[in-house]
Amino acid sequence: MPKVQFIDPQNVRKAGEVTFKPIPVNQYNKTVEEEKANFSKDDFLRIYHDMVVIREFETMLNEIKIKSEYNGIAYNHPGPAHLSIGQEAAAVGMAYTLDADDFIFGSHRSHGEILAKGLSAIHKLSDEQLTKVMENHFDGKTFAPVKANFKGTVKELAIRFLIYGTLAEIFARETGFNRGLGGSMHAFFTPFGVYPNNAIVGGSGDIAVGAALFKKVNRKAGIVVANIGDASMACGPVWEGLTFATMDQFNELWEGDMKGGLPLIINIMNNQYGMGGQTCGETAGYSVAARIGAGLNADQLHAERVDGYNPLAVIDAYKRKRKILEEKRGPVLLDVLTYRFSGHSPSDASSYRSKEEVEAWQAADSIIWFGSELVKAGVATDAELDGMRAATTDLITWGVKLAIDKEVSPLMDMEKYPELIGEMMFSEKSVDAMEDRPVEVNHPMEENPRVKQLKTKERFAFDKAGKPFSKIKQYGLRDGLFEAIVDRFYKDPTLVAYGEENRDWGGAFAVYRGLTEALPYHRLFNSPIAEASIIGTAIGYAMCGGRVIPEIMYCDFLGRAGDEVFNQMPKWQAMSGNVIKMPVVVRVSVGSKYGAQHSQDWTALPAHIPGLKVVFPVTPYDAKGLMNTALQGTDPVIFFESQRIYDIGEQFHEGGVPEGYYEIPFGEPDVKRQGSDVTILTIGATLYRALEAADILQEKYGLSAEVIDARTLVPFNYEPVIESIKKTGRIVISGDASARGSFMRELASNITELAFDELDAPPVVVGSRNWITPAYELEDSFFPQASWLIDAIHEKIVPLKGHVVKSNYTEPEQIRRNKLGV
Amino acid sequence: MAIPVILPRQGQSVETCIIGEWYKQVGDPVKTGDVLFSYETDKASFEEEAKEDGELLAIFFEAGDEVPVLTNVAVLGAKGESVDEFRPGGETAAEEQAPEVVVQESLVAEKEEVVLVEKPEGKIRISPRAKAMAEKMGVVFEQIQGSGPHGRIIAQDVEAAAQALPKLTPLAQEKAKAENLAPVKEATGLGGRATAADLINYNPVYGDDFEVKKLPNIRKLIAKAMHQSLQNSAQLTHHMSADARKVMALRKSFKKKLESGEVSQNITINDLVCFAVIKALKKFPQVNTHFIGDSMRWFKKVHLGLAVDTERGLMVPAVKNADDLSIEGLSSQLSSVAGAARKGNVDPELLKPEAASFTVSNLGNYGVEMFTPVINLPQTAILGVCTIVPRPKDLGDGVYGFVPMMGLSLTYDHQALDGGEATLFLKEVKEQIENLSI
Repeated sequence: MPKVQFIDPQNVRKAGEVTFKPIPVNQYNKTVEEEKANFSKDDFLRIYHDMVVIREFETMLNEIKIKSEYNGIAYNHPGPAHLSIGQEAAAVGMAYTLDADDFIFGSHRSHGEILAKGLSAIHKLSDEQLTKVMENHFDGKTFAPVKANFKGTVKELAIRFLIYGTLAEIFARETGFNRGLGGSMHAFFTPFGVYPNNAIVGGSGDIAVGAALFKKVNRKAGIVVANIGDASMACGPVWEGLTFATMDQFNELWEGDMKGGLPLIINIMNNQYGMGGQTCGETAGYSVAARIGAGLNADQLHAERVDGYNPLAVIDAYKRKRKILEEKRGPVLLDVLTYRFSGHSPSDASSYRSKEEVEAWQAADSIIWFGSELVKAGVATDAELDGMRAATTDLITWGVKLAIDKEVSPLMDMEKYPELIGEMMFSEKSVDAMEDRPVEVNHPMEENPRVKQLKTKERFAFDKAGKPFSKIKQYGLRDGLFEAIVDRFYKDPTLVAYGEENRDWGGAFAVYRGLTEALPYHRLFNSPIAEASIIGTAIGYAMCGGRVIPEIMYCDFLGRAGDEVFNQMPKWQAMSGNVIKMPVVVRVSVGSKYGAQHSQDWTALPAHIPGLKVVFPVTPYDAKGLMNTALQGTDPVIFFESQRIYDIGEQFHEGGVPEGYYEIPFGEPDVKRQGSDVTILTIGATLYRALEAADILQEKYGLSAEVIDARTLVPFNYEPVIESIKKTGRIVISGDASARGSFMRELASNITELAFDELDAPPVVVGSRNWITPAYELEDSFFPQASWLIDAIHEKIVPLKGHVVKSNYTEPEQIRRNKLGV
Repeated sequence: MAIPVILPRQGQSVETCIIGEWYKQVGDPVKTGDVLFSYETDKASFEEEAKEDGELLAIFFEAGDEVPVLTNVAVLGAKGESVDEFRPGGETAAEEQAPEVVVQESLVAEKEEVVLVEKPEGKIRISPRAKAMAEKMGVVFEQIQGSGPHGRIIAQDVEAAAQALPKLTPLAQEKAKAENLAPVKEATGLGGRATAADLINYNPVYGDDFEVKKLPNIRKLIAKAMHQSLQNSAQLTHHMSADARKVMALRKSFKKKLESGEVSQNITINDLVCFAVIKALKKFPQVNTHFIGDSMRWFKKVHLGLAVDTERGLMVPAVKNADDLSIEGLSSQLSSVAGAARKGNVDPELLKPEAASFTVSNLGNYGVEMFTPVINLPQTAILGVCTIVPRPKDLGDGVYGFVPMMGLSLTYDHQALDGGEATLFLKEVKEQIENLSI
């Protein structure tokens, strides 16, 4: 909380009331005749044309899903097709004014939005720009089948490119917009400003906010539109995104040209159903979705309901709202009322709605109505419109034929190139700065108070005589993190960091102390206590080309950002066919002392999800080196830290933590102590307990233990561990996570497979108990202790002469605990 | 009245803070609420305000000092007041702690004894590593008793077995498996590997024309002691011979006295030699010692060990305080312990190698002309007495004659004694023998 804001009890305790402005509903009432001043004939016809293209495209998909045939072409599409037949006016109206710099994000039902936005961008881009886009995308791979034998204008070619790229993507072809890895629910094409569509309901609700943040912080042209459904307004992450988007600080604390709201439109594509649930009358209570705006800020998000069955009404709204965003008074909420004739998916029997209802909406079909209005106003003739529809059928027929042709539109050849998808899981780039321009900072780095203070610290924990310096003199783990992060802030102008208490407070664990002085508000700020928004916005920020460090204050809060961490951040690089980069370093602090909901090591959860890198350094040297590597890369990293050891000094790296920049490659476990009789492999702060155990093993039992710190979980190189086992034949794996289903078990399983013949005993896992984490006073019965490691070695690996066990590592006990599930 | 300014405690885990900057100097007037100084923990910076009005009388720590929390850092009060009572006892955060001197013997994991079981019971448990190791080393693991959990044979068991058991050649392994033959202790193959021919029960020429006898315990003990002696010391032997005419004459006269009943004890040449040796030991106390690694036991008395050949094997009983004895006494004691050793009723305490300070082993009766006795560790040396042979000697004036010469073989531990000392001692023994008088 900033000190400049004074909470005056006199003011806040005063009596009064909160008032609301009326929220407009379907206020647009112009006729085509009246709009002739604003639209040329071509404009009107383009609106009609784009709606027809969407209708035919989706009708084709519906036929293929239901009858496995379209216009005489047989094809079986086993994948999904969530259609929006009936919603064309809403999509075209939304996209009509937008150009390639404006980004749209969508849902699983976004074919119409992709086509509308693509057609709109094609209209606005020059022939040169279009040719460049088409030729550059995957080195012309998508373009090649389209341009073969084509003799027409570049714009016509670009429309074919859009139809083909989208359809090939839906049919999982290698020539699709995302190499067939996105598919129907995720297809997108960023050169036209079409950003990822999301198969998780409300998934775009926070990601789009991050994209708007990117545009604002990096002074990019254009606005961002989040096309989300009416049902998604019930989702937590959508609310979190809205809360993030409406933070007062944009107006109250951000300075200079940064002052002001986000260039964002939350566009509710309100087709009035969430699958079969009716949002008005059954599954929600807002009755008019625009009402939600009134709950979020004093501007009520400038919310209004627009008739999405009239494309001109939607276009009118977008023209007006864009002005608001240009005046930095965003964000805006639009409730675009529409209706889908098609089911949720082709398997939907529409048992939740009456035939009469569907027929009533079909009677109001926006394409038929708009066509007749154009004819009535003398803008077009029936013949012109008929011709346009016939030409569209030909276009779509051409697209289907081409997209299902195995020769020109092959699937990825997974037999010939079995690792094609594997190679796309990470982008593996090394990039100093995501953009080349000066960084915005408040003073030169050497003038920073923390930087100055660190000059006086001891960068190695011990003096020449081997005596430790006092804790406060030692350069700690938090200092290593700080140095890497501050260095990057002075290198990469796009880098921003945020989370709970990141500014002023300096982060709950003082890693960012000193950064507040160095950085303007828009590069370091406090977020709402809403983890889904913290990670979701970071994803959107990174997708657009920025680098970002979101922070999760306690590992236990990771569940609050479950969808973002598990479904969004890890997926988009591969789902985009490697078009998108995801340079997000999520700092996650693993607690202790604070009981069951503040002390869990959940390293196994992100490690389980393909597409995330997972690191957990526990020395200052490793923390700085691995943070540098994380911030130099372009992949999402879950960066674990342990609250037990933020102040620990460097005890291993000769010469202490280097002052300059260095990287430690991901994936390399590090031998912290050499030994010959038994290997102890640790994850996290348990390293220090393992060293304690190693001392006891040496002194009491004459066993020499080799202690290895995993450092990184994903990726992980097993070779050094196998080398160690070749020497010792024995291994114990330990960490603070509850043992069941932990990454320790993963290590044990792989080690058994890889080094079976070297093993003198099975790899033994010593993790935390499968309990709640108890109070600090009882933690010794929960987290692995040095004595547990020795007991486990005695019981399962090699009996130690004269050893008296304290904990129970016998097999019957292991069976008993598993039987009980504890 | 003067009051101390205390460094506040910020947070439970904070033990020390670093003083940042003093905003007031000694002598400055101070008002309540004035910021006196800043200080920092590893997490944050703080400022301390004056709690009372007054003059800043003293500052005990400078900027940059590391100070334990709750320590007096300054004093506020009226001009001229004493501050001494508030002065912290000179302690700072960097309190010197007396270095603890802990002498630790670094342990080495005890080597497991190899235990062989007659027949494996049920399923054999063996770790993959131990199994691979056994195959590589040619160790037949089926009879090893495992020391791992559930009696699992683990690598250390195979290692120990590999040291104790002969390694088998591939043919021998196959043979052992096919014919269920036991491995043997003695191996004749290259690199100590047991060949198929070494396997017990396997001899195409002689068939089973021998029997395997288990070693009696004493044999095992002797074997172990002898092996250890050679393993754990730096032994070498010097040979010399002594003119035996004097001792032979003495022996002759004692024999006469025995026959005439003047003495009751049969005094042998060995008794006389031992008597001479004791005298020599008194002159060379460094030989009358035990060598025990980093130190030596120097004995004040001579406790003489005598190697005795018995039916059950070699025994070395000791005669305590042998230097107190007359020749008759010595003779009597030597024959008494030797007799007891042969009968098997000797006091076991006297058989311990530690019981004697020096040992004599006499093989003269058997005609041995020269040998290298093995030291009875931890003793420093052993004297071997050999047979008497006539050898030419310069009798003076260029006249050579054959005189009976007695061979002496002194084995000593070079760790304890140098060659010069050993030679001088052996020379002394020779001279004592040649000039023995009773």
